[in-house]
Amino acid sequence: MKLLTHNMLTSHVKGVTRGYPLLIKATEVKVSEVEFNPQFVSRMIPKLEWSALVQAAEGLGHLNDLPAELVPGYENNEEFLRKVHRVLLEVEVMEGSLRCPESGREFPISRGIPNMLLNEDEA
Amino acid sequence: MAPTGGVSGPLQFYCTAGRGLEPFLTEEVRLKLAASDVSSMTGKVFFTTSAPIRAVVGLRSAERLFLLLEKRAPPSGILSSGQAGRLIQESIVADHSQWTHGLRLWRSLRRSLGEPDTDTSIPRRGQKRKQQEGECSDRDNSQKGQDPESMGSTVSEEAYSLPQTPYLVEDDPNTSHSLPVTFRVSCHCSGPVARRFSSQDLGRLIGSTISKQLCWRVDLRAPDLEVNVHLSDDRCVTGLPLLRLPLAHRSYIRTTGLRSTVAWAMASVAEIKPGSLVLDPMCGVGAVLLEAAKEYQNAFFVGTDIDESQLMKASENVQFAQLSDSIELMRSSVNAISLPPCSVDAVVCDVPFGRKFGSRADAAASLPAAVKEMERVLRVNGVLVLLLSPQLSVLLGKTLSSRPPVENLRDKPEGTPTPPLLSLQLCSSHRVGLGATDAIIHKYRKGPPPHQ
Repeated sequence: MKLLTHNMLTSHVKGVTRGYPLLIKATEVKVSEVEFNPQFVSRMIPKLEWSALVQAAEGLGHLNDLPAELVPGYENNEEFLRKVHRVLLEVEVMEGSLRCPESGREFPISRGIPNMLLNEDEA
Repeated sequence: MAPTGGVSGPLQFYCTAGRGLEPFLTEEVRLKLAASDVSSMTGKVFFTTSAPIRAVVGLRSAERLFLLLEKRAPPSGILSSGQAGRLIQESIVADHSQWTHGLRLWRSLRRSLGEPDTDTSIPRRGQKRKQQEGECSDRDNSQKGQDPESMGSTVSEEAYSLPQTPYLVEDDPNTSHSLPVTFRVSCHCSGPVARRFSSQDLGRLIGSTISKQLCWRVDLRAPDLEVNVHLSDDRCVTGLPLLRLPLAHRSYIRTTGLRSTVAWAMASVAEIKPGSLVLDPMCGVGAVLLEAAKEYQNAFFVGTDIDESQLMKASENVQFAQLSDSIELMRSSVNAISLPPCSVDAVVCDVPFGRKFGSRADAAASLPAAVKEMERVLRVNGVLVLLLSPQLSVLLGKTLSSRPPVENLRDKPEGTPTPPLLSLQLCSSHRVGLGATDAIIHKYRKGPPPHQ
């Protein structure tokens, strides 16, 4: 699971109003090289929940000097876009879990694939 | 225009297409190959392009690619006259230079594609029977070209390099391809013509004509090339296939799911742009995601499925296709997609028809709620592309078009609420073939939420 995907994930456990952001507990993190595409990254940034990204990256120890606040004019700031690229696409949680901040429900991550499936009584 | 050296200048091609995919292929050749003279008939799209052959073989919605030799009306009187056979014989190789020119182009294109000069797609049976076919001068032998068995003798490998005369009437002195040609005819008749001739009879007739007129040698078992002829009541199309494998074959897919051309067609209408987030909430082995991610390399794709074994295959497929950078998978139900409202730019989904998974009744009952959930995560103005069986299409059409009055809602039986799906507007529908069955690609756009 990339942090880009994590940035979108919400918990839908019954009764939860805003199951976001999910807390990552990682037992295995992989960093793999992904081709840098500045256009892709700069178009993705407005869709992100920035604070959730920073929090997730920090929790994994891969903050990569990301600033707490989004820098203005980032579209033309290659250095910044590269940092975001790394955190968004190159850092991957292979094993671990995601925890719903409201209900405490844990969703396992195995072989890089989060299992967000709910039991019938949870949905 | 005789191309010199490599192949240059506009060339005429045609591709076969699956049922209903002709409009997608028409659009694709225009967009990707800047093709001109684009026209289509059932199952085929004709076009002229100067694009490099590498680009032509990159077409995604086509089945097979052919170099066009001739396309024209069949000889008049073919249906009425008792001389139909003679008419076909006289007209099939109307212009020798067109055929010899076509052959040179075919060889040149094959070479640039790295395909062997000899079409290895044609299974070589009976290799041990190295019975030398008579030379062209034997063509008066009336048996030859009449009886497929006598035409079908296998030529030894050495025969290809033996200079034999006469071979081709070359109109270009610079040509370096002067080997004799072995061929076979693959013939297909449709329409009223098909009632007069069997494809085999016609193939035999055309084969003998070609071998007489061009001195190409018939070889049913291991020919250099295959001449494809499609005769319908209004058109006679002749072409040479350019590739061993169909274009629709995807070397990057390990476990196949939905037909790749249909998967590509679905992605092609989803308006995927650089930076788009695309979701397939019932991704199965990932067929649609793979086609979409190969085509749109600046977008990001998320696939979810409820079935773990499908997801494992999808994961293998994603890695095999080297698309791990842009496709992510997770296990989730389509009824509770773990994404916030209005978060994705496009949703694409090959909705299971209830044959492979669960029952038809289940599929029908769960469809409205599933579509409602897809609509929830889709942003306003985002595109939803669904592949549905004809039955499910009707069902969803009813759900979307009718908003029962409030009092009727109360009369509905428990557990079947009519979800408010009015924000989805149907943009287009395309009926496409999936082997034995048909399916319909529906494209919807999410409008602003309806005012209550």
